[in-house]
Amino acid sequence: MTSDIERRRFLKAASAAGLVGLAGCSGGPSDGGSGDDGSSGDGSDDDGSDGSDDGSSGDGSGDVPATVGIVYSDGGLGDNSFNDAAQQGLIQAEEDFGIEYDESQPEGTGEFGDFQQRYASSTDPDYDLVSCIGFNQTDALAENAPQFPDQDFMLVDSVVEEDNVASYVFREHEGSFLMGVLAAHLTETDFSAGAGSTDPDSTNLGFVGGVDSPVIRRFQAGFEAGVDYAADDVDVTTSYVGSYADPSGGQEAALSMYQSGADIVYHASGATGVGVFQAAQEEGRFAFGVDLDQSITEPEFSDVILASMVKRVDTAVYESVSNVIDDDHQGGESIALGLESNGVECVYGDEIGGEVPDDIVTAVSDARDAIIAGDIDVPTEPGDT
Amino acid sequence: MRNPLADVPVPLLDDLIDDEYVRSLVVGVVGTLGVLGLLGLLFPGSVAGDLAGIVFSTGTAASTARLAAPIVLAGLGGIFAEKSGVINIGLEGLLIISAFASVYIASVIGIGNAVLGVPAIWIGFLAGIVASTLLAGVFGVVCIEFKADQIIAGLAVWLIALGLAPFMSTVFFGGVNTPNLGASVGWRYSAVMVLVATVASWWTLNRTAFGKHLQASGENPKALDTVGVSVSRVRYAGVLLSGVLSGVGGSALALSIGQFVGSGETMVQGKGFIAIVAYLFGNYNPLGTLGAGVLFAGLDATQIRLQQLGYAIPDTLVQTIPYVVVIVVLALVGRTRIPAAAGDHYETEE
Repeated sequence: MTSDIERRRFLKAASAAGLVGLAGCSGGPSDGGSGDDGSSGDGSDDDGSDGSDDGSSGDGSGDVPATVGIVYSDGGLGDNSFNDAAQQGLIQAEEDFGIEYDESQPEGTGEFGDFQQRYASSTDPDYDLVSCIGFNQTDALAENAPQFPDQDFMLVDSVVEEDNVASYVFREHEGSFLMGVLAAHLTETDFSAGAGSTDPDSTNLGFVGGVDSPVIRRFQAGFEAGVDYAADDVDVTTSYVGSYADPSGGQEAALSMYQSGADIVYHASGATGVGVFQAAQEEGRFAFGVDLDQSITEPEFSDVILASMVKRVDTAVYESVSNVIDDDHQGGESIALGLESNGVECVYGDEIGGEVPDDIVTAVSDARDAIIAGDIDVPTEPGDT
Repeated sequence: MRNPLADVPVPLLDDLIDDEYVRSLVVGVVGTLGVLGLLGLLFPGSVAGDLAGIVFSTGTAASTARLAAPIVLAGLGGIFAEKSGVINIGLEGLLIISAFASVYIASVIGIGNAVLGVPAIWIGFLAGIVASTLLAGVFGVVCIEFKADQIIAGLAVWLIALGLAPFMSTVFFGGVNTPNLGASVGWRYSAVMVLVATVASWWTLNRTAFGKHLQASGENPKALDTVGVSVSRVRYAGVLLSGVLSGVGGSALALSIGQFVGSGETMVQGKGFIAIVAYLFGNYNPLGTLGAGVLFAGLDATQIRLQQLGYAIPDTLVQTIPYVVVIVVLALVGRTRIPAAAGDHYETEE
């Protein structure tokens, strides 16, 4: 019998420990500087190891112009892409205005609503703005926004038509169009730089997407349209990995493209894209990055990243914070950031981008001018050309 | 050892041919490939032609070898645990923890540095194995010493790793994804490890006294106890071996990219659960597990290439092909006999 009692006691202890552990995993937003939610995985408690999290360490009182709660997309911080771009916007706002912010990295789609609610209903601190990053948060926010009419929200990558939500969408297809123009010209020339080179005999390009969704299809549509615009006989092969967190899947998809003759692969797949860069290095070909200048954020691969389609998520976050500070929240508005406002840009790689021939650079900037002038209509769905 | 006289020339083949299940699988796979190849030759422009072009390319084969490594290795580990009577459904957690630990230790040492002449990336590889073995050890203590429900404990292993690895990454690197190491372990190393581990597992299970003990511990622990072998010790050995093999798989997965990605389901993406299917599919035979893992990985590699042909089928449907085929094959030919005492606790009678 003793062993049975022992066993029960152990099971009780183990289940209690397990519950605490689980609570820690799904820990909600930590409250300002009090830090009593120490086990939550939201990055604001990690003793400032990278110097970027100090925003939440002060006291939420006095002369702080605004307190922001941010819910990241399911790629998580450290993706060197979408979420990190959003964080840069906050860090910039922290430097310029002295705001404070708290961060959450949901594990999956089901948790978005929870985190949004917790920020919206918190009174200590009272969040001036809740930033929701990513298309996947649309449904959750559409449900939550009417329930908290006094809370200001901002949403990136999608539109929720509520008076308290400022929606920021990007015309990714326009930026991707430029990447298509650049890629089509490069694959037709004999070009080499860094660790990669193109094969002038084969005129193939690749596109690797994360999850098949309207946003990622905009990238694909723009890229394909850009290729069609710049060259007649260049093929684009497309593959969706099905996840933003599957680098080995991205590597396989990109390797098969390179091996069937693709010179350049453009990815829009968050952390999955690391696999694409790895494949580019293995095969001695080029890749295009996305969201941030990935030749800088992924320095190990800067010798194959020729250019990146930079999406200024940081600008969107920064602007929304600055609007809230000025008491000018653009609730109910949908702000589309395209080429003319530099919301999307083609940024050449830090290490090898300078070696792109001048006539190709000119062709890309001509295409940019033509889109801004309205001479080119870029489709948002693949196959709409 | 049904046929002790015949095991001198080609023991491996001989045993396999005896096994009708394995024979029907081999005939089925060879038959399907043959029909596909024939159709591909006859109608080069058709769907069959495209498919044959994909299946019989070296690129697909290499891709299969890379994708299969973590599945087969974790599956082999699962065999050892379950044969001994402990059902280990925490393989996914073991893969996650070893994937993170390998990258973490390699980055702490620093690529380019070496400890005792061993390059950092291989120290990281070993660290992944150690981390996975430790977690398997905890699982073993909970299940064997404290007689916890094996399914619940296995789920706990998965959930703990799923929460712990991204959390540690946030603490050490400031985000759920680690930075890239800038170095990686080539897939040929992991392919060799898979083959060595498969043959060694087969040998251990079928040709050594320890293999017999494992089997007895899972089928009839009382008999094992009666002849004076400690059931607990055999079961601990089985569980720890599942940790070691899963650790090899997890380290190989993360270090083939040089980075740990911890968002969502983490970069392991359910491979540990596929591994469970693989060893059940292979009916606890390491060679069968290798076959099942290669089948799944091969379908996955085919799926990736199929998408690129640009048929008017939604990509999301094409992505499900490996899972659907595995379920269909399992339903049609699957014949798994679970060890009689698997999942039961054994109380030794003094």
